[in-house]
Amino acid sequence: MAASTTPVPARDSLFGARLREAGWGYAFVLVPITVFGLFFIYPFGYAIYISFFHWGILGKQPGTGSIGFANYHQVLHDPIFHTAIKNTLEYTAGVLPLEMAMGLLMALVVNQSIRGQKFWRAAFYFPSLASSVAITTIALYLAASDGLINRVFGTTTPWFTTASTVTWAIVVLNAWTTSGTVMLFYLAALQSIPTDVYEAAAVDNTSTWRTFWKITFPLLRPAHFFVMVVFGIGALKVFDQQFIASGGTGGPNYSTYTAVLYIFREAFQTFDFGVAAAAGVVVFIGIFTLTVIQRLTVGRSEAA
Amino acid sequence: MATAAAGAQPYIPGRARSELIRKGVAYAALVVIAAIFFIPFLWTIITSFKSLPDSVNVTLIPHPWTTRAWHEVWSQYSFGTYIKNSLFLAVVITACNMFLAGLGGYAFARLKFPGRELLFLLVLGTLMVPDQLRLIPVFVMLTNWHLIASFKGYILINLVTATNLFFMRQYFLTIPKDFEEAAKLDGAGYFKTFWRVMLPLALPAIAALTILQFQGTWNDFFWPLILFGQGSAHLYTVQLGLAEFKLTYSTNWPDLMAGSVIAILPILAIFIAFQRYFIAGQVSAGVKG
Repeated sequence: MAASTTPVPARDSLFGARLREAGWGYAFVLVPITVFGLFFIYPFGYAIYISFFHWGILGKQPGTGSIGFANYHQVLHDPIFHTAIKNTLEYTAGVLPLEMAMGLLMALVVNQSIRGQKFWRAAFYFPSLASSVAITTIALYLAASDGLINRVFGTTTPWFTTASTVTWAIVVLNAWTTSGTVMLFYLAALQSIPTDVYEAAAVDNTSTWRTFWKITFPLLRPAHFFVMVVFGIGALKVFDQQFIASGGTGGPNYSTYTAVLYIFREAFQTFDFGVAAAAGVVVFIGIFTLTVIQRLTVGRSEAA
Repeated sequence: MATAAAGAQPYIPGRARSELIRKGVAYAALVVIAAIFFIPFLWTIITSFKSLPDSVNVTLIPHPWTTRAWHEVWSQYSFGTYIKNSLFLAVVITACNMFLAGLGGYAFARLKFPGRELLFLLVLGTLMVPDQLRLIPVFVMLTNWHLIASFKGYILINLVTATNLFFMRQYFLTIPKDFEEAAKLDGAGYFKTFWRVMLPLALPAIAALTILQFQGTWNDFFWPLILFGQGSAHLYTVQLGLAEFKLTYSTNWPDLMAGSVIAILPILAIFIAFQRYFIAGQVSAGVKG
């Protein structure tokens, strides 16, 4: 390192120092930028490229050129893909309101002046940190036909291996494991609401219920929006739970096929990388469009 | 209500009562939620000490009480290897992220170089590329480079994440510049300033990053499945091993529950020890990211 305590000679002054700073700057970001470029930005284009070819496990089929939009045509006309998208959207539409409601409820409860506030906060957050594989395995045990849940309610439905119930079973399961994280965001938002708002409501003798719906809930709008976007995008990626519940098959009757599971199976069961890449592009466009729409509708009032 | 007794402040008794009701409801809710949240975990631990026929009984005390499931998980299945693999990957990847996200975050927060804003835009753009899209090209690239079915490939694609780098940059922006200027006057170069001055000052952020990254890698199922799932059993992580175990022995519940406890326990231990960093990290990484 060339920096020294002695007075710097005039010719090495400003320009040299700037050059040195820039050099170190580039050196420090070199590895991260390479990783991001190589494994995120470049794959973005590469995925699109692959999606226009017959591409198998050994790569591009030799001697063949681009097949145009044939892979896209196949994906968009594949009934299994439709089912996968339907399942993913159903799951998202189910889990998002549930985890938001539970997260908000937990945040409101934990935000009261109660004993052991930190303990409760930690206890509710913990299931969010447990591994998805272990949690799903536990849930499969609890919801097995002779498991605890069925014993308690006197039923015998294996909730995770029945086509008509599995999506909703996973909704409940994931609401359990994500609402703790949602709670943390709501808690941070609740604590940033100025207390004088509540003091005014108290002076007016407003009921707790009314105070919540008229004051707290609207003031939490930025938090609602944030949670909706972040957890909505997360929900569209759902994979682990369906994979474990079905043993990777997507069954019974395609009920555990999600967008990601479809891509996974096209790639590693059918070994059709071109179709899998095309499905990836289609899903990306879908998520991107949804995000933009959400930003334009819910987000617009936010910016104001 | 005997409001008259309170004299000049007629609101107080009413408020105290509603306060009391509110607290009562809050405690009731706490107990109910906690019960729903923790019965599954409790049930898991109980079952891991049950025998196979006993595992379908709704009884709190295992009868007979047995540690057979735990012995089997250790001796007949390779959970020892899985734990070693998971620990290795989590430690290496966490260390790389800590160092590289710190270094990069510092450069983006403090050093001036042409194209800095453009490169930072690239970092943010990274957050927009989902795994759904990345899966195929990254798999193809790693196959071409013969990095499938090796820890090298997995470590390479996880060397540093944009979320971590962004998180560190945001933290460095909050540190006053006086510290660096003092270091510069003492003749410290850029790397020394980073390593000896800035990194120690960013310890709370480093702690949060370390814990969340360790948890993320330990729990990761998707990428290990893609890269090691095609028959590389010696590379299995705990999550992959447990998933395979579930596939093979679908209803051997005592053993499966013992395996699940192994998959969760390390994170629980770290969580109990470093709880406040977990929560601080989760919120600030999310809110700013």
